[in-house]
Amino acid sequence: MDADEDDYVFYGTPIEREEELTSRKKKAVAEASGHLRSLPSWKQEVRDEEGRRRFHGAFTGGFSAGYYNTVGSKEGWTPSSFTSSRKNRAEVKKQSIHNFLDEDERAELEARSLGTSSQFDTFGFTAAEVARRQAEKEQQHRQSVIPGPVPDEIVLPAAQSIGVTLLLKMGWRHGHSIKDSRASSLYDARREARKALLAFSSDNAKGQFTDYESGDIDLENVEVQSANDDFQSSRSTPVYVLNPKQDIYGLGYDPYKHAPEFREKKRSHVSGKETGVRKVLSIKDSLFGLKSGKAASGFGIGALEEYDAEDEDIYTTAYDLEDSCVQEDEETSMDHRKRLVWKEEGVLPGFRVASTSDFMLERFDPPAIPKDFVPHHKFQGPLDIGYQQGFPPPPEIPPPEDNNQKILIEGVATLVARCGKLFEDLSREKNKSNPLFSFLSGGNGHQYYVRKLWEERQKHIDQRKPALDGKSSTQKMNAESRGQILGERPLERSSKDLSMPLGSANVNLQFNLSDTFTQPSSFSELPEETKPFKNDPAKQERFERFLKEKYQGGLRPTDSGGVGLMSEAARARERLDFEAAAEAIEKGKSGKGNILLNQQFVEFSASESLQFTSGGLVQGKNTQSEDLSKKTIYPRREEFPWRPSSILCKRFDLIDPFMGKPPPPRRAKSKIDSLIFMSDSVKSSKVGENVSANKAELSVPQFSTHETNKDVDNRDGKDEIEVENVERPVDLYKAIFSDDSENEVEASNVSKVDNPEKKVEVAETALNRLITGDFLESLGKELGLEVPPDVPHGINKTRTSTLQKETAITNAGDMNVFPVENKSSSSPNVSGKISSNQGGLVHQEIREENSHKDKTIHGSASDGSSRYMQTSPPDNKPGKVGANRTMEKEKKAKSSPSHHHNWSDSSSSEDERDRKRYRQRGSKSTDSYSDSSSGHLSRSKGRKKHSSREKRRGHRKHSKHHRHRSRDSSRRHSYHASEKELAEAKREKRKRRD
Amino acid sequence: MSAAELPRKEANVLKGHEGAVLAARFNADGNYCLSCGKDRTIRLWNPHRGIHIKTYKSHGREVRDVHVTSDNSKLISCGGDRQVFYWDVATGRVIRKFRGHDSEVNAVKFNEYSSVVVSAGYDQSLRAWDCRSHSAEPIQIIDTFSDSVMSVCLTKTEIIGGSVDGTVRTFDIRIGREISDDLGQPVNCISMSNDGNCILASCLDSTLRLLDRTAGELLQEYKGHTCKSYKLDCCLTNDDAYVTGGSEDGYIYFWDLVDASVVSSFRAHGSVVTSVSYHPKESCMITASVDGTIRVWKK
Repeated sequence: MDADEDDYVFYGTPIEREEELTSRKKKAVAEASGHLRSLPSWKQEVRDEEGRRRFHGAFTGGFSAGYYNTVGSKEGWTPSSFTSSRKNRAEVKKQSIHNFLDEDERAELEARSLGTSSQFDTFGFTAAEVARRQAEKEQQHRQSVIPGPVPDEIVLPAAQSIGVTLLLKMGWRHGHSIKDSRASSLYDARREARKALLAFSSDNAKGQFTDYESGDIDLENVEVQSANDDFQSSRSTPVYVLNPKQDIYGLGYDPYKHAPEFREKKRSHVSGKETGVRKVLSIKDSLFGLKSGKAASGFGIGALEEYDAEDEDIYTTAYDLEDSCVQEDEETSMDHRKRLVWKEEGVLPGFRVASTSDFMLERFDPPAIPKDFVPHHKFQGPLDIGYQQGFPPPPEIPPPEDNNQKILIEGVATLVARCGKLFEDLSREKNKSNPLFSFLSGGNGHQYYVRKLWEERQKHIDQRKPALDGKSSTQKMNAESRGQILGERPLERSSKDLSMPLGSANVNLQFNLSDTFTQPSSFSELPEETKPFKNDPAKQERFERFLKEKYQGGLRPTDSGGVGLMSEAARARERLDFEAAAEAIEKGKSGKGNILLNQQFVEFSASESLQFTSGGLVQGKNTQSEDLSKKTIYPRREEFPWRPSSILCKRFDLIDPFMGKPPPPRRAKSKIDSLIFMSDSVKSSKVGENVSANKAELSVPQFSTHETNKDVDNRDGKDEIEVENVERPVDLYKAIFSDDSENEVEASNVSKVDNPEKKVEVAETALNRLITGDFLESLGKELGLEVPPDVPHGINKTRTSTLQKETAITNAGDMNVFPVENKSSSSPNVSGKISSNQGGLVHQEIREENSHKDKTIHGSASDGSSRYMQTSPPDNKPGKVGANRTMEKEKKAKSSPSHHHNWSDSSSSEDERDRKRYRQRGSKSTDSYSDSSSGHLSRSKGRKKHSSREKRRGHRKHSKHHRHRSRDSSRRHSYHASEKELAEAKREKRKRRD
Repeated sequence: MSAAELPRKEANVLKGHEGAVLAARFNADGNYCLSCGKDRTIRLWNPHRGIHIKTYKSHGREVRDVHVTSDNSKLISCGGDRQVFYWDVATGRVIRKFRGHDSEVNAVKFNEYSSVVVSAGYDQSLRAWDCRSHSAEPIQIIDTFSDSVMSVCLTKTEIIGGSVDGTVRTFDIRIGREISDDLGQPVNCISMSNDGNCILASCLDSTLRLLDRTAGELLQEYKGHTCKSYKLDCCLTNDDAYVTGGSEDGYIYFWDLVDASVVSSFRAHGSVVTSVSYHPKESCMITASVDGTIRVWKK
């Protein structure tokens, strides 16, 4: 093959072999990996993937493109940054193609652009450009006389415009005017004559001014003549444009369109200048002339201008106007004549002025003035100065020569102006005989007096004007009408006769001002006895404002009337009181039981009076009904867990009951919380009320508020309530031995209730619980108690799962309010639905039994709590639940032990706190006749303090309930009935116990 | 003790306070008494001899309550300046000031060992202060009251507070319980019976109420006096046979403990009787009044 190659002639590029390619590639790779690494970047050569070097061109980088294989430069390549701030706006960069062109490229591009060909280059731009280029070129080639680039002015285009070319062809030459020979000959002759005249004058006189002037006039005449000649001679080719544009106005604009007289002046001025005649230019002329002309008079007088230095100072203004006017008049008349002549000839060449004009200026006659029209304006105001304003001022009169009289006149005028016409009359009467005062009665100096009087009055009016102005502007609308507009109560005075003396009116005014404004209708009828906070005017005021805010819209200052001084808690409390009071008032308005209402208000006031000097006494606690029931209700005992600090125990030399337990996490102390949930509770409780009594409880969104629960409880599960009133023995020990903090227990409880499956995940806590349960069981046995066995939670599941959704809702609704409680409250609902109330009853039973157990335990364990059991026995049930019912329940409980276990288990797994709540609910059950408003009241009240003390809400509610009940008279009867029943039940229970 | 042995005779008049005397207290053994008042001073007296012994001045505002340790070495006082002052009796210097109440402090008491001071404030809280440490922070804050706490009593294991919210709350440190007895009326002053079983609570409806502490039952109500707007003290006699208390009309009332009948009432002061204190052993009583005097009564 190799040998063959020599013999053949090859055309074209031989196709390279695969092997060769790969080998070269390999080589390239090897090179790259080998020594390329050692080379500095600028020594490296760029190769393509095939290992070939690219040759960029001998002068454009050789084998390495750009700046050492980069796109940068020696200085580096930095991308442009864009910054734009409010102060420094980034300029909008417009990129054009020229930014990217080299110079030669640009030239090339320009060469392609269109230009006027020299033939049609009328204005010579292109020719000039070409000439310039040519000159440059020439300069480059050879040295010119002028060093450096040739100035543009010097370079003239060699080409002639086509017009010039044409003229040239017609025989015109540069430096000659275009006119016929006859005219030019005349002109020449005249020039000769002028020359001769000049020569004569210079010979004769010594250049006298007058002569010179006359000569000038001659010259002018000659020129005029020549112009006339021009018109006559060559009409077809005007020598000059008649009105060459010399001003700076736009074409066709005539500044003197409406003032032709100024045109004449201007013209004369200009022509004067043109002819070089030194005329006396008046300042007035320049003033009336153009601005530029004016400026020219003062400034802009160049050195070349032909001003005679001696005949005027350009800055003087002391020119006699009259003179110049006269002179000008002369001149303008002459000019005018000239113009008239010219006008007759025609505005434009070839046109004539029409003899009859169609154009008629349309004129309108002035409107006919009615006969009775009085040509002066009457002011409606109280300005009793018609004679001053209405009449034209008397003419100015020079004061009389006698200085004394002048003073006298002036003094009298002042006095009269001040005191009125009466004084004038008086003084006139007095000084009838006195010649000095003759001016009063039309004598000497009367005119001056009249004038003076007018002046004085004018002054006087000016002084009074400010006061009068205000009056006059509101004159039409008097106080009454305005008051009607503004809703004011009319003043006493205005309704009475207006002739009342001013002083008394003032007094009246003062007196009436206090209650000028009628009260808003909604509250104005609030009688005195229905003001619930009579004793505290400030509070009453706030109450009224509260009512206003409640029933009326509008903007009001939020913080006024000392509200800002009150603490937030106090304000909230007061607000609740107000709400209650407002409700009572509303009820009273609705018509029934006005007497009762009054009574309530009396109670309100009574309670008010009991307010202790200290801050936030809960007001209105002792309403009448409360007094009635006080003995049965108070003192009421409640128990809560309380954790003393360890150091306190130490100092008291006691063992810390909570020793070894982690401190309970502090609950969020937020009033906002309570405020947020307040509305919810109100809403939910209201909803609960609306729902029909026995059915749709479950559909009620259960915000786990006490109110809803209570509502629900009241309806379907009254039996459950008393059951909760139970103290169980395990609690104390639980409290002692349980490792969990309260919250943790609670949380686990929640999870259990929520999600039984989750039990596995919280196995730890469950185990804990089991252990404690075992322990407690053994402990209980030791103590001789019956402790319910711990049943696995699987059984629970069936029950709780049904509740899942519900409890989930409740938990989501309000975690603060102990979700476990919800479970207890809601479970009977469900069970009632599912197993026809069976579960609920059983539930009760168990509790009942537990309570019995409790008693025995407490007898031994803690005397305090056993006592407590006595005071608030578990059968604190509302009236409807009779004693026989409990008996029935007992039977049922015996018949269904499995349920018993079930429930006891679930309840035993709850921590003491929950039970506490049951108990509390028990206490609540005594006042289960709450309605939404009372619930609302108590709720927010309870919330106002630390939320960890929510348990006590029940208690607080209690007191509130009573108050409310006392107000709510319709419920009173039933309440008392229940009270009685309650007492009965109590007695019975005691008997049984004994 | 029969009714005849009640202290009805004025033995001494202790004058020295300028302005109202707000509290007068016997010391533990009854040989001395302390008083405090609007003149921002605390005064130590020998009531039996009618001698003014010492004046303690440091409070910035009126002094509302004072208490002395059982060993008579320290005083504790509180008042309108929101502070609790811990005094050394002998030197008359303030050992410590306990600050922390957000508002006026109404009452203050030592515990049995004089190691803790419990103060009751208008800020609806009870605060326990440690006298032994140098910390000025309260060691316990009880803020379950919903209104101004007017009075405080301490037993060996309990802290009892009476509040305007109508409750008497017993905080049992031993078992960690709070027992709240709602009386339905603002409680002005509470006083322990000497056997420790009952609490006498003075309510603002002009009624004294006797509560059984263990059960929380209302045992008796004592009426007849006037108590509507002032903080009036009440106490039981040292044998717990009678209940005594002042009235806003300047009278002193004695009631029979059991049948609640007014055994005796007489005008003791020209103005409101703010404080009464009964001698721990003898038939002797001191009363303090707004008229600026302290009177010692003996049988």
